[in-house]
Amino acid sequence: MRIAIEGLGLVGGFGFGADALRNALKGNLPSPGTLRFPYGDDSIEAPAFMADTAPLDQFVTKRSLRRIDHFSRMALLGAYGALDDAGRLDSDPARLAVVVGSGYGASATTFAFLDSFIQDGDSCSSPTHFSNSVHNAAAAHISISLKATGPSLSVSQFEMSVPSALLCALQMLRENRADRVLLGGVDEACAVLGYCRQRFFGAPQGPFDPLDFGRQSAVAGEGAAFLLLSREGQGEARYGYLNDVQMGRIDQGGLRLPEKSALVLGADGHQGCGRLYQSLPIQGRAHVCHAQAYGSLPVGPAFDLAAAALSLKDDRLYPGTESLGDRSLCCLKLAEDGNFGLVSLSG
Amino acid sequence: MATVAKLKSILIEDMNLEDIAPEELNADTVLFGEGLGLDSLDAVELVVVIQKHFGVEIKDMEEGRPAFQTIGTLAAYIDEKTAA
Repeated sequence: MRIAIEGLGLVGGFGFGADALRNALKGNLPSPGTLRFPYGDDSIEAPAFMADTAPLDQFVTKRSLRRIDHFSRMALLGAYGALDDAGRLDSDPARLAVVVGSGYGASATTFAFLDSFIQDGDSCSSPTHFSNSVHNAAAAHISISLKATGPSLSVSQFEMSVPSALLCALQMLRENRADRVLLGGVDEACAVLGYCRQRFFGAPQGPFDPLDFGRQSAVAGEGAAFLLLSREGQGEARYGYLNDVQMGRIDQGGLRLPEKSALVLGADGHQGCGRLYQSLPIQGRAHVCHAQAYGSLPVGPAFDLAAAALSLKDDRLYPGTESLGDRSLCCLKLAEDGNFGLVSLSG
Repeated sequence: MATVAKLKSILIEDMNLEDIAPEELNADTVLFGEGLGLDSLDAVELVVVIQKHFGVEIKDMEEGRPAFQTIGTLAAYIDEKTAA
């Protein structure tokens, strides 16, 4: 069974909405902002693609957001954006499921909660921080806000979070547990993440270029990318169809690229993963990479899915102008530990 | 008055009342229900916030309930406890 992509909800360093991402895919790349964090006795500023959730005002009142942290706000904005894009903001949410993938979860809130616990003791730890730090917080905020009573699930498998969440979403639709699924990926850039990136990778070596596989050039990103999915025939496939999702390990021979497809590679400027992409047999096959539009983050594959969906809708393999013709698209994410996620899409 | 002023800014900042300006609040502003619109989860947060910022522990909610009526009653409760 193919799965229709009805709508996209996107927020990241490129802005908000499908048009903002499309603009970045065309080559109008966003300039990174700044992530400031303490490092030893110094304060360091690193480039990072930061997301602005101000457009949430279009969908909910400020008062209703006051207990919702930045991480969940990005997810909420992605979810509302996808429904709005599909023209389904007023649809019955009774059989709407929510599946959220995240590599890091609500890291800023989680570390703020831990800091308050360590510095002031358990009696001074914020209950609101705690409630936002639980694993399913973002999905729960979405379900509550939309009054969606279908399954509400969070999946975390670092860089495989999105393919894994997508497998769950497809299964929910195939088992008729929901009529529609809001499937999204969300991750945030915070001071602790900035520290870790500096500690493990140092500053980016030269300009951010994810197709330069041998060089560490990753620039951190944050944001949310949501897709509104439904079974074929039950919704308008405005952005084409998801055909298949595969996960496995490269060293066990599981990765087989479909013959007639262009590739959207999930390379994001990390040298450790870059060497795996470098070893792929993709000579002569059209392949692109879009991380310069949204940055490096574990749920990058959600943005790649959105970019592929836009390519299908526009019949254009971004950033170029070449038609896709009868080719399908495959989004491929390779993780440094040898895992892969492969998602096949077609018009 | 100093406690009232501090409470106003703490309420707006720590309870994330982004839609309210400090000058809209005064000592007679009711905290819960139709006043500021705080609820039971806010009450728990408020207990934590008061301990953190003023060092005043509210262990008994029976004792805390009258204090949680308005910004003024809460400020008076804090002043009384910090003076003791």
